[in-house]
Amino acid sequence: MLRIGHYLNQFFGGVGAEEHANHAPERREGPVGPGRALQGLLKDEGRIVSTLVCGDNFFNERAGEAHAAARAWLGDVKPDVLVAGPAFAAGRYGAACATVCRLAEEGGVPAVTGMHPENPGRLLHRKAYVVPTGDSAADMGRALVAMLPLVRKLGRGVPLKPAVAEGYLPRGVRRPGARAGTGAERAVAMLVAKLHGRPFETEIPVDAYEAVSPAPAVPDLKRARIALVTTGAIVPRGNPDHFKRCSETRWARYDVSGLDTLSPEAWECVHGGFYNRMASENPNLVLPLDAARQLERQGVFAELLDFYCMTTGNDQRLLDCRRNGMEIAAALAAERAGGAVLVAT
Amino acid sequence: MAVLSALPPLAMQAGANRVVQGIRIEHVCGDPSQPPVLDRQLRRQLVERALHALQTPVSGPTLFTVER
Repeated sequence: MLRIGHYLNQFFGGVGAEEHANHAPERREGPVGPGRALQGLLKDEGRIVSTLVCGDNFFNERAGEAHAAARAWLGDVKPDVLVAGPAFAAGRYGAACATVCRLAEEGGVPAVTGMHPENPGRLLHRKAYVVPTGDSAADMGRALVAMLPLVRKLGRGVPLKPAVAEGYLPRGVRRPGARAGTGAERAVAMLVAKLHGRPFETEIPVDAYEAVSPAPAVPDLKRARIALVTTGAIVPRGNPDHFKRCSETRWARYDVSGLDTLSPEAWECVHGGFYNRMASENPNLVLPLDAARQLERQGVFAELLDFYCMTTGNDQRLLDCRRNGMEIAAALAAERAGGAVLVAT
Repeated sequence: MAVLSALPPLAMQAGANRVVQGIRIEHVCGDPSQPPVLDRQLRRQLVERALHALQTPVSGPTLFTVER
């Protein structure tokens, strides 16, 4: 019978929602929340002996303490396999799950997690075994069933086949082997398929997150027009353009000419990915207009643009992120912005 | 472009080249637990650091911090 350790965040651990994202790591005996469903699927094959529940903010902001707590928990529980999440599209949760998997593996414990393929958490541990999931907990039932075979195999030390065969996301690991046909034959077959508009499978997938060449340094800040941008969903109070709390596709600009600060009477934060009460009480905490105006008045740079740009950067599809980024850059370039400060949440 | 983020490792892994360490996820550009004058001073320091980052040549993801 496999011994299983399960990592959950504050929400799935039943502590509470975003206001509890600072919950310190807490051990619970046996399965908790979705762990109970996983236990039901496992039956006598395995037992979730212990669950570690930790707030998403705590895990990511107090990394030293969180990692130490996770290592200590793993050391005490000694599971055959660690299961983290699934995290779906929750970025901080995905980051925590990927990291807990890495810590487990470093300690000799195989690990598996589940999350949406575009969850940025994957960036923190690209070699994690990640079962792809939908972007919300509506997918929990299916996701747990999909994770089960990997829980078994990893727990029993069964060597895994390539990603496409085993149902985990490709990890960028390439192993030598023989393919049918020479490289020339395969390349031509791919090209013919592409020309005919038929589907084809690339042998070298391009990484979703590509390295970006750094922009040259701003040569003369005193003469530069500066732009403010945020993915923190700061909008005029009342949210006239109905920006979504998550899964937004659009961006917008809002006029701030003549304003020295963003007042809570006139502005608010509608980001659904973190506890946004403080940001709504003082929107400058996410769009630092007051500080930027001070520095503008002192001549540190020439002037601020008349508007700032925003979107809701919570579970935004990479396709939309790229397009929005390019459109925002074009809008800033049209205003001869020399540089931009982007506050990410 | 300088990014102000409470989680620089994520920003840098995603390819951001100039990343300034923000305060907390819920209040990247300040600290509402401080008196307003200190919160504003902190915010000013963070924006100044971002402007400094804009003027700094970098060759890849680079972290900038403000002493607290």
